[in-house]
Amino acid sequence: MRWSSLLGLAVVAVLIAAPLGLPAFAMTLLTELVILGLFAMSLDLMVGYTRLVSFGHVAAYGLGAYACGYLLLNTSLPLPFAVLLAAVMTGTVAIGVGWVCTLATGVSFSMLTLAFAQLLYAIAFKWTSVTGGSDGLAGIPRRAGPMGLTVLTTKTGFYYFALAALVGSYLLCRQLVASPFGAVLRGIRENETKTLTLGYNTRLYKIAVVAISYALGGLAGALYAPFAGFANTELLFWLLSGQVLIMVIVGGSGTLIGPILGAAFFLLLEHQLSSYTEAWALFFGLVFIGFILFAPQGIWGLLTAWFKRDWMRLEKGRRHGT
Amino acid sequence: MTFKPRYTRRAVLAGAGATIASPYIFTSAQAQAAGAIKIGMPLALTGPLGSVGQQQKRGAELYAKLQNAKGGILGRKIELLIEDTAGNPATCVRKAQEMVERYDCRLFTGITLSSEALAIVPKLAEWNSIFISSDNGDGRLTAESFVPNFFRANTSGPMGARAVSLYIKGAELKSFYALGMDYAWGHNSVQVFENEMQRLKINFIGKVFAPTGTKDYSTYIAKIRQSGADGVYLVLAGDDNNAFLAQAAQYQLSSKMALLTEQIELVALRAVGDASLGLIGSARYAFTFDTPANKEFVALWKAEHNNVPDTFEGEQWQCMKVFEAGIIKAGGIEADKLRPALEDLTIESVKGKVLIRKCDHQGVQQGFMVKVVKRDGFDHPIPEVLAVLPEDRTTPPCNKMTYDD
Amino acid sequence: MSTLAFFLTQSVNALSQAALLFFLGVGLTLIFGIMRIVNFAHGALYMLGAFIGYSLVRWTGSFWLALVLAPILVALLGTAFELVILRRLYRRDAHAFLMVTFGLALVVTEAVRLIWGPDALQVPPPRLFSGVVFLLGEPFPTYRLFLAGAGAVMAIAIWQLLERTRLGLLIRATSQNAEMVHALGIDVGLVRSAVFGIGCGLAALGGVLAAPLVTASHAMAATVIIDAFVIVIIGGMGSFLGSLIGALLIAFVQVFGNYYLPDFALAFMYLVMLLVLVVRPGGLLGKEA
Repeated sequence: MRWSSLLGLAVVAVLIAAPLGLPAFAMTLLTELVILGLFAMSLDLMVGYTRLVSFGHVAAYGLGAYACGYLLLNTSLPLPFAVLLAAVMTGTVAIGVGWVCTLATGVSFSMLTLAFAQLLYAIAFKWTSVTGGSDGLAGIPRRAGPMGLTVLTTKTGFYYFALAALVGSYLLCRQLVASPFGAVLRGIRENETKTLTLGYNTRLYKIAVVAISYALGGLAGALYAPFAGFANTELLFWLLSGQVLIMVIVGGSGTLIGPILGAAFFLLLEHQLSSYTEAWALFFGLVFIGFILFAPQGIWGLLTAWFKRDWMRLEKGRRHGT
Repeated sequence: MTFKPRYTRRAVLAGAGATIASPYIFTSAQAQAAGAIKIGMPLALTGPLGSVGQQQKRGAELYAKLQNAKGGILGRKIELLIEDTAGNPATCVRKAQEMVERYDCRLFTGITLSSEALAIVPKLAEWNSIFISSDNGDGRLTAESFVPNFFRANTSGPMGARAVSLYIKGAELKSFYALGMDYAWGHNSVQVFENEMQRLKINFIGKVFAPTGTKDYSTYIAKIRQSGADGVYLVLAGDDNNAFLAQAAQYQLSSKMALLTEQIELVALRAVGDASLGLIGSARYAFTFDTPANKEFVALWKAEHNNVPDTFEGEQWQCMKVFEAGIIKAGGIEADKLRPALEDLTIESVKGKVLIRKCDHQGVQQGFMVKVVKRDGFDHPIPEVLAVLPEDRTTPPCNKMTYDD
Repeated sequence: MSTLAFFLTQSVNALSQAALLFFLGVGLTLIFGIMRIVNFAHGALYMLGAFIGYSLVRWTGSFWLALVLAPILVALLGTAFELVILRRLYRRDAHAFLMVTFGLALVVTEAVRLIWGPDALQVPPPRLFSGVVFLLGEPFPTYRLFLAGAGAVMAIAIWQLLERTRLGLLIRATSQNAEMVHALGIDVGLVRSAVFGIGCGLAALGGVLAAPLVTASHAMAATVIIDAFVIVIIGGMGSFLGSLIGALLIAFVQVFGNYYLPDFALAFMYLVMLLVLVVRPGGLLGKEA
């Protein structure tokens, strides 16, 4: 569909132009939104395209953050390399995680992912010499890029780096999803038994999607560490797993863009509500319930429905000369 | 499936989107009262430590209200920027950054959790902001993690442990066991205590740590009992502290050994009631402290809240007084002026004399040992002062978390 | 303390812990078994039970009255929630329930904070069980004996409900084949509402019983929900006996594990869960593979 590509380009253009017009804090928030959006999108590969509901996606985020933080604090690796290396490390660990978790299906799979995330939390808490224990790693520097590319140490430079990571990951995911690999994932989502009988080793595909999903989640975490300057056990707390799952669902699972919007919605709503009232969590909960009842297809579903209807109306109007 | 009219859903979505997005796109800073002194407080108002954050908020608000009625500081009104972090360091950093970038707020206090403080502290230089802590007890903040823009007005964890050890010197207890929460504060405090016991040649039998969120302390109580120690040193806080005290009372632990703790707060005494009777420990602040400034503060508090002030309400009050003295001495709030003004500053506070020393910005102050007793006029036990320990003995050497003598 | 006394007291401790975990888990497993709903609000309802229990004890002065009324009130709340909101979602996939119960958890948690304030509140044990007995020379709180006993009584009662009563039959049948039950002319919706209500009531019961040990506190909701999930998963989602076994297993592992290997205290539950799921992916008595 051409309109969606045009829309996509327009959005990216706006995001690229953002630092020129937005005030300082809006840029800070936008950078965090980009990172969180990447985190949510990474989960969508598992949840939306393969129906592997993970209750432990913080493991990816936390691993990426700690790995990158550790690298930046203890080695002299330039920022982009530290971030990418952290993402690769997370993906590698995730192969093992995926291998164990895919022994089960359904809710048991979800619980195994939770178990891993909790174990990681416990390790991060206790392995004080490496992770800083309950205090975590603080003062993580936003180091320069290779060849002295100091632009990354600036706010705007870092924003573009994060944006590039998000757009790059999105394009990667879109390719993946449109490829034969993606078709198998959808097969697993719709009917795993049938896909098995067609001769596909579904378990291998599942492990692969877990690894990729965690690697991208780790990329998000690795971006967060130098952004916020710290990595601590709160990044591995299970509540965040639930929240990112909500972001995916609210945004619209199985759409890649939806979860990004879901993350933005979640963060902005929480930030605004909490500055209006102490009881913000109450309204937050009501919003979720409202979404499920009245907007089940999520934000992206609402937006596409709106666009499509307008488009169809415009087409009709043009043809009939109105 | 429910069908809603198209325009309603669209309108709602558009409205929600606009509400959420607009403040950031169209404004960079709201109009503020001209020349107001903005003090940012990203607190944990909700969540497990909500009780502490609420205390800090009340302490600061009463101070601001009364001081503004007197014309503020240097003729400028005090404006508190209070936000809820729910105890999440990521949210705390975000809120603090907003206070700096959107509202040009360069003074901070009332950051509830030590993990939040540790995340904020490295950013103070970049933000050109001064942070005076009112409750962060982590010893590191004046040691390894020290930055010049950080000041601590409150009693630290090591100072609490030290107060207990100094008190024990005079008591008849010959052997100790320790139980702490299994994270930085617990380990740090038990370590300080253990060092002190070794110095005093008192038998330190052993220690055990319980994960945060432990609900059943029966195993730990059994361990403590089995150790046969004369006393047990407790480093617990919040819900864990309440659970332990309630259960220890049910096991009648205090009939077998003395219970000493690093921190005694009113909230805990109210939560467990009589189970806390006989508990002895260090109090960072208690309404029963006998200083002129405290008598005045307690009277003001009673008039406002019809209640006695709790630990962090008093600590926050002391912290605001430090701000006041520093800003007056500096003649302004810019970090470059305020920082040297705060160093070597002395005030007469609710805890007696407090000196913000130059080397590590720790507030040098007395230590107080209290005992939990029942008194008329209160429907819960209260902390009564047992001993006051001199400030040069309770405060650790510069930039350190442990003691040399 | 002699070794025998130690093992005896610690075992009774474990039984009392298991009882609390069982109350938490059995409600969750019943709800999942019948409705395939993972009830994220379970911890929040447990906490609500504790706080309502606090208020009832203050107003009536009777722990026993609170023990009976608080679960009933929360059960009614749960049933109302099921009727008004959950009913509309049965045709949808599991995501819907996840979010809705997550939303309910947020609402209940904040409502509790608004109504009762941010401080922890004391709930004293009933006078009848406020003392100690001496087990081989060591004092042991009678309240924990009461807990262990209450757990056993409740387990038997629920077992009898499921095996001997008509409601129990309907519950078991609906969990196996809801459509068949519907075809037989039974109002499946009514069974679901009843089960959800009972599940919520059981969670609240657990909360009231736990309150004298841990006070009614705000962190309760977040900490117990994970415990509940772990027990139910280990025992097998939907299996009543499984939740009992899961509770006992976790309680004993934690009590003795924390004693001998306190460094691993944080990880025990998850290691056990991992082990069980790797060996039997559906849980010990579960049906899912």
